[in-house]
Amino acid sequence: MLKEKIKSTVSSLLENKQVDFVIGYGAGSDAGTVRPTFVKAVEEVQELIWSPFAVNNLAKYVMDHLYENIKIGVIVKGCDSRSVVRLVQDKVFPRENFYVIGVPCKGILDKNKVARDFDLSGEFVDFVEQGDNVVVKTTKGDITIPREKYLMDKCYRCETPTPVVYDVLLGEEIAPFRRDNYEDVKNLESLSVEEKSKYWDKQFEKCIRCYACRNVCSACNCRDCVFDMAEPNWVGKAANLSENTAFHLIRAWHVAGRCVDCGECSRVCPMGIPVNTLNRKLIKDMKELFSVETPGKNPEQGAVLGSFRTDDPEEFM
Amino acid sequence: MRKGYILKDKLFPWLEAIRAKYPLIAPVQEDGLSLFKEVEKVSDIVLDYGITRMPPKDLFFPQTEKMFRIKNKNNMAVELETPEKITDEQVLFGVHSCDLKSILALDPVFTTRFPDRYYQERRDKTYVIGLSCQKALPTCFCTAYGITPTAYEGADLHLTELGDKYLVEVVTERGERLVAAVPGVVFEGTESLEAEKEKLTAKVAAEIKPVDITGVKEVLDANFELPLWEKWAQKCLGCGICTYVCPTCHCFDINDFNRGDGVGERFRCWDSCMFSDFTRMAGGHNPRPSKKERVRNRFMHKLKYHLDRYNLVGCVGCGRCVQRCPENIDIRAIISDIKGGV
Repeated sequence: MLKEKIKSTVSSLLENKQVDFVIGYGAGSDAGTVRPTFVKAVEEVQELIWSPFAVNNLAKYVMDHLYENIKIGVIVKGCDSRSVVRLVQDKVFPRENFYVIGVPCKGILDKNKVARDFDLSGEFVDFVEQGDNVVVKTTKGDITIPREKYLMDKCYRCETPTPVVYDVLLGEEIAPFRRDNYEDVKNLESLSVEEKSKYWDKQFEKCIRCYACRNVCSACNCRDCVFDMAEPNWVGKAANLSENTAFHLIRAWHVAGRCVDCGECSRVCPMGIPVNTLNRKLIKDMKELFSVETPGKNPEQGAVLGSFRTDDPEEFM
Repeated sequence: MRKGYILKDKLFPWLEAIRAKYPLIAPVQEDGLSLFKEVEKVSDIVLDYGITRMPPKDLFFPQTEKMFRIKNKNNMAVELETPEKITDEQVLFGVHSCDLKSILALDPVFTTRFPDRYYQERRDKTYVIGLSCQKALPTCFCTAYGITPTAYEGADLHLTELGDKYLVEVVTERGERLVAAVPGVVFEGTESLEAEKEKLTAKVAAEIKPVDITGVKEVLDANFELPLWEKWAQKCLGCGICTYVCPTCHCFDINDFNRGDGVGERFRCWDSCMFSDFTRMAGGHNPRPSKKERVRNRFMHKLKYHLDRYNLVGCVGCGRCVQRCPENIDIRAIISDIKGGV
């Protein structure tokens, strides 16, 4: 059972002082919600769970301990593991200070999709896989969810079901079995300029400049963010269409070549803006122009816009 | 307090009559989100909306608000142009009891010690029509703060759907002006409706997962340091979601639009105490240097400081922060930890 493997792995890491603490998932406010849980003592290990709703990318939390030279254990799925690569490549956190606990994953349930058809309002007790179904046990009863119908959108196009880096893998490797055809990006590319403009105006008008997308992003790892600068005031603090558009487009360009397409930005947005689509457009373009893989998927691949190759089409830059 | 009723099938015609006279802001559905927006057609109004994604505070305290123009007269003088009028009269319809209470929580901030012309004029010129809840969400906990799902405090008029009628309670003098200006409310025979309202209140309140705040303020009064703050702060992303979806949060920043061409505009905009630079000062000192100080401050404000300052609750149990926090920081769980002295 994955939960037991997690607990025994983490207990052993803590007992042997291989890590200072571990970041995993604990139970949240309802059956469809998990909560990042930080465990530094063996007594706390029993708070750790696994859940078919364990969506949060936990890797970036290491940035709260930048100069402490401590070792941190992090539980990661395939998408999250690309963030580990990101943080290491950007020299934000050394690889040797990570203890990466990899969990192979065929897809995470989308609690918003599930909540439309099932009652998730009870507390999470446990879950079990039953063929094509996930049976979630809650304090308000068991719910049987046909897995493939209720995944996060990003999971249907996941090309790394097995973490790309790990110090220990809690489960059998899963060979990639899905393809990302960038349908969401292509749908927007097919619109006219006027239609695209109207679409993004509508999205950016909703933006409340909470900066959740930036704060959750592991590619947004600058010590001093351009959007926090008052002097010069690159992008004003007023939440209007003009400033909001500038924020989103500038951020997309700042992470271009480094975004690992983990999808957290879209998930955290309180206004339902498909932030990730901007990043995916840039990734798709880069794949076509430079024949690279999704950043973070291959630890050997350097930063797309930050590496010089002798076969670059342009001699300068 | 005068009480009357409107027949259910007369509600939208009455709202249309209001809309013909005043801008009408009501709950609508946009892209799957429930929001308070100015409506062009009353048929756009969605009555059974649960909770809006954003609170109604924007009507009194807009996210971005122009304050005055600054014109460079010559290198020695500027001319300030303050607006003559901040807003026209408007009607805000369909506000649930938690949000109604939140308006009362904001009032003393902007109208007592530091009277704020912009807030005050919007407040004076807005007729607030409340709407009782017919159901509770799993994230609702208004009852923790003595608010009921049918409470009218904060409304000028308050509506409760009961069978084929809406009970209408005229709470304030401003409410009286509105029913006089837009007839449609029948003032008679509401005794049975009032009895049914009691039943509805009990029914919806029973759906709410109980949260007990007794003793919480006392623990916070006695303890500035508690281990739970670090525990919860670790999970926090430091974004502004909780503060921006919160109906009682009211921090703001002031800045200028300035293109360097001699004309500028001073504006204020929402700010969040959760941002890392919120308390950063000229010179670089930051009295809330880490997430622990900022997370502690936010919950102390909601559960203690607002009460200390205004004798009013800083949280109304609307549950928006619980729904929207990306890392599931749940104020109800924090309340429980505080009670446990964690």
